[in-house]
Amino acid sequence: MSPAARWALAAWIAGAAACAAVIARTEFSTDLSAFLPRSPSPVQQALVEQLRDGVVSRLTLIAVQGDSPDRLAELSKRLAASLRASREFAAVNNGEEAGFEKDRDLVWRHRYLLSTAVKAERFSAVGLRASLEELLAQLASPAGVLLQRLSAADPGGELLRLLEELAPATRPRLHGGVWFSEDSRRALLVAQTRAAASDIDAQKRALGLIQDSFAAAGAGADARLQVTGPGVFSVASRDRIRADAWRFSLIATVLIAAMLIALYRSVRVLGLGLLPVASGALAGVAAVSLAFGSVHGITLAFGVTLIGEAVDYAIYLFTQNAPGATAQSTFERIWPTLRLGLATSICGFSAMLFSGFTGLAQLGLFSIAGLVVAAGVTRWALPAWLPRGFTVAAVAGFAPRVMALARAAPRLRHALVVLLAAAVAFLLLRPQPLWSGSLASLSPISPREQALDRELRQDLGAPDPRYLVVVHAADEQAALQASERAALALRDAVAKGWLQGFDSPAAYLPSEAAQRERQAALPPPPTLRQNLQEAQKGLAFRPNVFEPFVRDVGAARTMPLLDRASLQGTSLALRLDALLVKRPTGWAAMLPLRGVSDAKAIADAVAGTSAGVLLDLRQELDELYRGYLREAQINSLLGAAAIVALLLAALRSPRRVFDVVAPLAAAALVTCGLLALGGHELSIFHLVGLLLVVAVGSNYSLFFDRAAPVQDRGRTLLSLVFAAVTTVIGFGLLAFSSVPVLNAIGSTVGIGAAMALAFSAILSRPSGTEGAYARAS
Amino acid sequence: MITGHRLAAAVLALGCLAPAQAQDKPTLVLERLMKDLAQVKSARGRFVERKHFAMLNAPLESSGTLVYVAPGRLEKHMTSPRQESLILEGERLIVERKDKGQRRTFALQEHPVLWAFVESMRSTLNGDLATLQRFYEVRLEGNAGAWRLRLRPKEPRMRQAASEIRVGGSGTWVNRIEIDEAGGDRSVTEVTREAG
Repeated sequence: MSPAARWALAAWIAGAAACAAVIARTEFSTDLSAFLPRSPSPVQQALVEQLRDGVVSRLTLIAVQGDSPDRLAELSKRLAASLRASREFAAVNNGEEAGFEKDRDLVWRHRYLLSTAVKAERFSAVGLRASLEELLAQLASPAGVLLQRLSAADPGGELLRLLEELAPATRPRLHGGVWFSEDSRRALLVAQTRAAASDIDAQKRALGLIQDSFAAAGAGADARLQVTGPGVFSVASRDRIRADAWRFSLIATVLIAAMLIALYRSVRVLGLGLLPVASGALAGVAAVSLAFGSVHGITLAFGVTLIGEAVDYAIYLFTQNAPGATAQSTFERIWPTLRLGLATSICGFSAMLFSGFTGLAQLGLFSIAGLVVAAGVTRWALPAWLPRGFTVAAVAGFAPRVMALARAAPRLRHALVVLLAAAVAFLLLRPQPLWSGSLASLSPISPREQALDRELRQDLGAPDPRYLVVVHAADEQAALQASERAALALRDAVAKGWLQGFDSPAAYLPSEAAQRERQAALPPPPTLRQNLQEAQKGLAFRPNVFEPFVRDVGAARTMPLLDRASLQGTSLALRLDALLVKRPTGWAAMLPLRGVSDAKAIADAVAGTSAGVLLDLRQELDELYRGYLREAQINSLLGAAAIVALLLAALRSPRRVFDVVAPLAAAALVTCGLLALGGHELSIFHLVGLLLVVAVGSNYSLFFDRAAPVQDRGRTLLSLVFAAVTTVIGFGLLAFSSVPVLNAIGSTVGIGAAMALAFSAILSRPSGTEGAYARAS
Repeated sequence: MITGHRLAAAVLALGCLAPAQAQDKPTLVLERLMKDLAQVKSARGRFVERKHFAMLNAPLESSGTLVYVAPGRLEKHMTSPRQESLILEGERLIVERKDKGQRRTFALQEHPVLWAFVESMRSTLNGDLATLQRFYEVRLEGNAGAWRLRLRPKEPRMRQAASEIRVGGSGTWVNRIEIDEAGGDRSVTEVTREAG
């Protein structure tokens, strides 16, 4: 081993070890923090928190179908029982009245502290008179049979009012004591996981438990289990992305390795060829970890594909190594071109680096650090380690044919101009927008699964995961008080028909202030007795019949206030825990809304109370995404301008800059046109794909632009073809993925790289003065 | 089993009472009564209901119209002392108070006691013996001209609400419903054919 090779090896080992040390201490996150802007507004913060571990995100909806209703009801009970016994779920509800007695008892005992209707005037003679008249009317009512048993202790009907308020507005129908869909075909359950939806491993465990419990519940052969919800979706998304990424990269690796082995005829050289990419990936992860504190799953999943350009470095070096030449001299010949290509790529990826979208910024940094290191390894290590006298034997066979093609290519210039004009016209004239503004377009969840989710949600009357009011406060009491203020506005909004209903933590645990206020509104027994006597005058009630009421009100005036601990053991505690959460800084309360019909009016009404804000999760997310997309588009244009400036500085000839840039711009345009023609709505990941096309393609057009010695031209051209073929294989395969993100990058780069090479050849100047391949032969 | 036994006894007793009655005045057995009732496709009448409550020193009286449409629709429109409607539609019970603009819907499946109550009336009118016997032990007394069904709730929870319901009638016309509530409260409803 030469001294240079030794130094290179020592430096590489030291670098790799340093990266490994950083990576060993790196935290890898898979939650939605990647979507959080780097300097989020409070609303955005709340938004991401909701998605990450909000109440609604923890609800898993379960349906059992495919058997007789009686058998399904039995299955539902057994499934619920075994899920309740596990530690994964905070609550499992299937309509059975398990624990309901406890709830009812608690509400009955604390009815005068819990009810928002407790006001002093209701206990005055006039207020009581109204209550008693109403009671009389209810007793006379055909439906009144059932309520009079409690009336002596609760003439104002506080219990019924509370039970009605605390129960969801729409409930599924019951069969055999458990919930069913309207058509009785599905038994329904709702399970609330302890873990947040973003804790995908825990969600996967919970999902597995549901499936195992169902299998163990002795279902008949026809019974089927259906599960949906945010947690289920996040598990499915991760599994699908993982499976597709693995499957396609495995196939691509095998194909590319087979091709390179056939070309190089050396396993060692094949291994060397992968060294720049592997080193770059290592350095990329380490750089992101140092800069961001953690590395996101998105970065890991797509980062390596983004430095696919680095595979090309080795191909250029190895393929262009002529017999008899040293690797070092070959490298020195191609280095200026590679260096300029690298700088161009960095300009392009900077568009991502400066994104407010953390995931994209991480990808940008990963790519830049990865490419720089890959180029460094190509520069200092590969020439030293390449076996002496290595050459790609196949060159002799392929080179003449490739040269012939390159010579013929410029004849297609006019055709290219026509194609370009067609693409531009098509993009401008089609009525649909080119870019999708909806984040849902990135979701790997199929429309069928989304439809099932909607159906079950409707069957269950489960809250729409879209709207909720979020309250932030310094402490628990302040959060409850703010919830009470927001609830006041929301009750008004319900009365106006802007929504059907809502849930509030203060309904289960009123603030201490509210409870004290209610206690103060209750008159002492002698006064209450007097008021009752007056109120009863002329009514048919027997004297002293309301003595239980007087006794209970008297007790309520001095009873200890309701607190978290007193809810223990009831289902109300679970619901409270879900809606009122301690945060690292202060407390957050959530009021999920149902059946929203006028979000704008509700938002204004809630804002008027200054207690909280209405979050429209879908709209906020789409807004956030559209913001990222706009920013990425602008940054990409700035990146393109920077590339032009860089090339101007390096090539010092506007004409040559045009020669280099034109094929890339044409490739980007035609790729967009083809994607649109194929029915794609472009997303931010298509944009990332286009950046990659520019990064990879700039090497092609630069090599076409650079004059190479005549004897090396065939090799140079062939190296470009090999590089393009590996890129098209690697990314083109991803285009077959059903995961939108993978599909977007794959189809864009697969088409774009092929276009970039073809257009570089077509637009090369047959009679130019600078670098002309056609002329060379 | 008690039900079956009592039924058998009732059928036997009635059979013995009128072994040779002419075909135009058929023997009254439970099945036959229910079959006859099932033939009625719709009926309309006025009701007067008196409720005796322990907590009140005088009975509460209300009145209005009753409408029945086979197989499952029953409407009780109270017109005095105020407007209130109870509409039973399949498995849903709708309570409407026009004076307050209230309209509430109950799913019978979710309110077993309410369900038992409404079936005492509806299943009788519908001649649906199976449903009636799901909720009650049924005994038939009297003859075709003046019969009475004594319904004793089977469900413990329902027994806590009502100890017995008696539905009386003549031919295929139900003219009297008495409900004995568990707490000693009682209600009596009389139904007369609406003129015109």
